[in-house]
Amino acid sequence: MHSLYEIFKRNGYTRRDFLRYVALLVSAVGFPPSFLPNAVKALESKPKPVVIWLEFQDCAGCSESFIRSTSLLPADVLLDYLSLEYHETLMAPSGLQAEEAKREAIERYKGEYILIVEGSVSPKYKGVYCTIGGKSNEEILKEASKHARLIIAVGSCACWGGIPHAEPNPTGAMPISEILKDKKVVHIPGCPPIGDVMVATIVGFVMTGREPALDNLGRPKTFYGQTIHDRCYRRPFYNAGKFASSFEDEGAKKGYCLYKLGCKGPITRNACATVRWNGGLSFPIQSGHPCFGCSEPDFWDRSFLYSPLSVVEGGFGWKKVLAGIAVGSALGLGSAYINKKLRGVK
Amino acid sequence: MKDVVFYDFVRGPLLKFALFVFFAGISYRFFRVVFLGLPADYAKPKGNPYLMAVKKIIIKPTMGWTFNEIFSRRAINFIGGFLFHLGFLGLTFFVPAHALLWKEIIGISLPVMPSLIVDILTYSALGSLIALTLHRALNPVLKLLTGKDEYFANLLVALILFTGLLANKWAGGGLYIWLLSMHMLLADLLILYIPFSRLSHFVYYFLSVGFMGWNAGKRGVSF
Repeated sequence: MHSLYEIFKRNGYTRRDFLRYVALLVSAVGFPPSFLPNAVKALESKPKPVVIWLEFQDCAGCSESFIRSTSLLPADVLLDYLSLEYHETLMAPSGLQAEEAKREAIERYKGEYILIVEGSVSPKYKGVYCTIGGKSNEEILKEASKHARLIIAVGSCACWGGIPHAEPNPTGAMPISEILKDKKVVHIPGCPPIGDVMVATIVGFVMTGREPALDNLGRPKTFYGQTIHDRCYRRPFYNAGKFASSFEDEGAKKGYCLYKLGCKGPITRNACATVRWNGGLSFPIQSGHPCFGCSEPDFWDRSFLYSPLSVVEGGFGWKKVLAGIAVGSALGLGSAYINKKLRGVK
Repeated sequence: MKDVVFYDFVRGPLLKFALFVFFAGISYRFFRVVFLGLPADYAKPKGNPYLMAVKKIIIKPTMGWTFNEIFSRRAINFIGGFLFHLGFLGLTFFVPAHALLWKEIIGISLPVMPSLIVDILTYSALGSLIALTLHRALNPVLKLLTGKDEYFANLLVALILFTGLLANKWAGGGLYIWLLSMHMLLADLLILYIPFSRLSHFVYYFLSVGFMGWNAGKRGVSF
């Protein structure tokens, strides 16, 4: 099994290129510069990680995002380095051959491989909604997770249930952590998550040999430790009280804050505002669309995609104000009437 | 508990419940007092009670406006009270997030303030509230008039101002949602608490001051 350095050399990169990319990885994972020599040593000597990638109820968007991660490792190195032993969308074999490849990989790399799961699991009716090669998704997940060294749930479907889990959830979709209750699962949520975050988490694991520090929802703190709002380049407009009121108004053209248009940046923890997408090119807010909080649980069902964060969920309005006043007035009148009666006042 | 679940609860069902109780509670107490009325008084008014009631409501806040009164004898009451009310009411209505909430509740678009003004109002309101509370606790006369209700209300309002300040200024990372939820939970509690406490003076002040003016008008005396 080749190390990252050997793969760099094989692809015609110099040692200087290798060191530059390792420095980038070290800073992306959030380690101090003093960790650089250890990281170089690890990536020179440790064999490339074996990855088994399972897909259940998903759209393959997370896979798309993953293979387009080009900021931290060059594309030709990335796909060579992360040894995807099994990935339904990317692998050449299909049918029984593919299933055989997975079984072999699990057997050969017992206790060494990284299991990545994309998509939610549907155990309803013995998993009839999602079966592969005659096996239910729950069965496949349990089988593959048994000997995994690290389990990573990528995307909001695998982490929280995602869109398959949205009301009325006909397939009984659930996050993988509900099936693997006795195992630790690293969550990399997003719809899809940022490819560079997935790569950095895996390479960080290779460098240190242990899983990253996680927040209370099981997400790496390095990438999910801060809100988008904290790092948003439009934050100065929020501070100045300058907001776009529609997608076409002058405020939107001037790049003002999108809070009024329903931006969920203040309550969304993700690295979009710092790592950004497509090689650091942009992220939703930079493209003029409010963040809708795809990395937070059940974002789809919270039904406030385009309403400002501070408004009452589901609305309140004049009718309820008047209803409250009517109830209060009736109670006040009744109470005063009874009081007068008891005191014998005419 | 997941922070987002708690966040959705305080900004959704709890806020709706609190608002309903607020409007119902304020109306209940207001109309109860109005409907209870006063004992029948057959004496002919010596002045114009209703005109005097309106006059009293309008000029009452300015009645003590002398240099000595404002800056010397009752400086903490006047300056602290003014800064606190200006800050608290300004923040309640004109912070961008709050203005959008009011738009949803009463349907009126309010202007919004930039963060700099929000910060100045928050610091002044918080500072004034601390000064007013200490004054209450130390002044021999005010001490006798102050009960647990006042201290609790002051603490609640101070915590709301403080968490609001942090929500606006703090880049608190992952804990930010807990902080924001705490700010909203405390605000929900305040909304629930107002109708049943002396904080309801924002409505009954006008009723009681108006009554004093009305009484003076009926007796034909000045105030």
